[in-house]
Amino acid sequence: MADELKELFRYRYLLLQLVVRDIKVRYKNSLLGFFWSLANPLLQVATITVVIKYVMRLEIPNYSAYLLVGYLPWMFFQMALLDSSQVVLAHRDLLRKVYFPREVLPLSVVMANLAHYVLAMVVFFAYLLFYRLFLHGAPIGVTALWLPVLMAIQTALVIGLAFFISCLNVFYEDVKYLLTVLLNVFFYLTPVMYPAELVYAKLAQLNSPMLYQLYLLVPMNALTNAYRKTLLPPFEGLTIKGTPIPSQPLDWGTVAAAGVICLSIAAAGYAFFNARKWVFAERV
Amino acid sequence: MDYAINLNKVSKSFEVMREKHTSLKSALLSVRRGRSERVLGLNNVTLSIAHGETVAVIGKNGSGKSTLLRIIGRVYRPTSGSVQVSGRMSTMLALAAGFHPELTGRENIYFNGAIMGLGASDLAGKIDKIIDFAELNDFIDSPVKTYSDGMLMRLGFSIAVETDPDILLIDEVLAVGDAEFQEKCYGRIDAFKHAGRTIVFVTHDLEAAKSVASRAVWLSAGEVRGDGDTVQVTAQYLDSLIHIGQDGGARVESGGG
Repeated sequence: MADELKELFRYRYLLLQLVVRDIKVRYKNSLLGFFWSLANPLLQVATITVVIKYVMRLEIPNYSAYLLVGYLPWMFFQMALLDSSQVVLAHRDLLRKVYFPREVLPLSVVMANLAHYVLAMVVFFAYLLFYRLFLHGAPIGVTALWLPVLMAIQTALVIGLAFFISCLNVFYEDVKYLLTVLLNVFFYLTPVMYPAELVYAKLAQLNSPMLYQLYLLVPMNALTNAYRKTLLPPFEGLTIKGTPIPSQPLDWGTVAAAGVICLSIAAAGYAFFNARKWVFAERV
Repeated sequence: MDYAINLNKVSKSFEVMREKHTSLKSALLSVRRGRSERVLGLNNVTLSIAHGETVAVIGKNGSGKSTLLRIIGRVYRPTSGSVQVSGRMSTMLALAAGFHPELTGRENIYFNGAIMGLGASDLAGKIDKIIDFAELNDFIDSPVKTYSDGMLMRLGFSIAVETDPDILLIDEVLAVGDAEFQEKCYGRIDAFKHAGRTIVFVTHDLEAAKSVASRAVWLSAGEVRGDGDTVQVTAQYLDSLIHIGQDGGARVESGGG
């Protein structure tokens, strides 16, 4: 694996070129460019907020901020994985003609989506600051400094999964359909639209706190929870059927576990990809 | 002896599938009992090419020419045998493979250079030479989708040659472009040869093979049928085609291009 990494490093300029090309091509003929990538999550968040607050009438103060802080990481996760399912096939002409470390392909789509995610987070901070300055919003706590760490852990997870998905899709094109379905399901299972405390409350009723620990071992669950706790103040005044749901402090153990799991997935994905990458040219 | 390219008993077989992309369903349902057949692309090829040699690879369609080039270019891994290549390789990409239509000629040069393993600083010193040789000074900042086939060909050749590789691999691309530019290409290839660089090119054009390469390798059904002086080997190859033509009805491939 050390040799593979060395070769990858030698081709770092190609990786950069692929990322730049991906971003350039995406917005080549659009006036608003990057803002289109923000339009989708913002509209989605606005829609969900309206439905939750005014149609279903759940009382969750400052809901859109709590939703957005979970939704932006989810967008990164979803877009990068969907792109990775197509990336090897999209470069079939190159693969069949030229040698280059194949792993730059999935890495490039993860990096391009990470760039979008970082920009989206900058906009998110501007939004928090705006609320703080003009609408008496909550201050941004020092725990926000953990953001780069959380993003790094999530990126490791996305890279690992992208290695598996991009590779498997070469052999079985069902993978991309399966992926679309799974992403849909997991969007609702991950605490994006609701706080993890609601899952805890439900599982506590079932008297099985172990299940909640398991729930938080799923990396995106732990990460979404951690993003929310570190970037926003604890929510207040949330009640379900008259029962108050208290906000819980972040359990850093779950974040550490997620970190270990994500790094393991990244390493396993890289090994899986490397074992198969030289057959791509014969299969695409 | 110090070789640029050394193939030792290289064989390459491919799995032939009924459908190109299997689905998960068929993979799960089909009982694996020898359904996939293997086809031999190269059979026990041993070949050494010295630094500074120019070698033409000839043979009929499906004889393994492109497979050989891909084995040398590390696109395919051999099924058995070993491949050693010393020096930086560059492949002249067929039209369109390495170009993104929406990006400008200049952007595409950087991308192509990166694919050949070059970095930003390597390319910065070479970009003017590449643009000059391709005669694209007026169009280099226009999207490549506005280029003619001839312009794309010129750009592709220019990138492959002006990035100064030790070994240049060419897969049947010199056939495109006007006569004047072809002349220029052959001139550049001569200079390249005199600089001690190695060229391996696949072609159907036997005249081109004779004028550029001193050595020819003739492949037939994945095996080396002839290897040596270009004039002799191309003559043998033509003989075999005519021979088949007499009793099999196969036609002599045209040498034009």
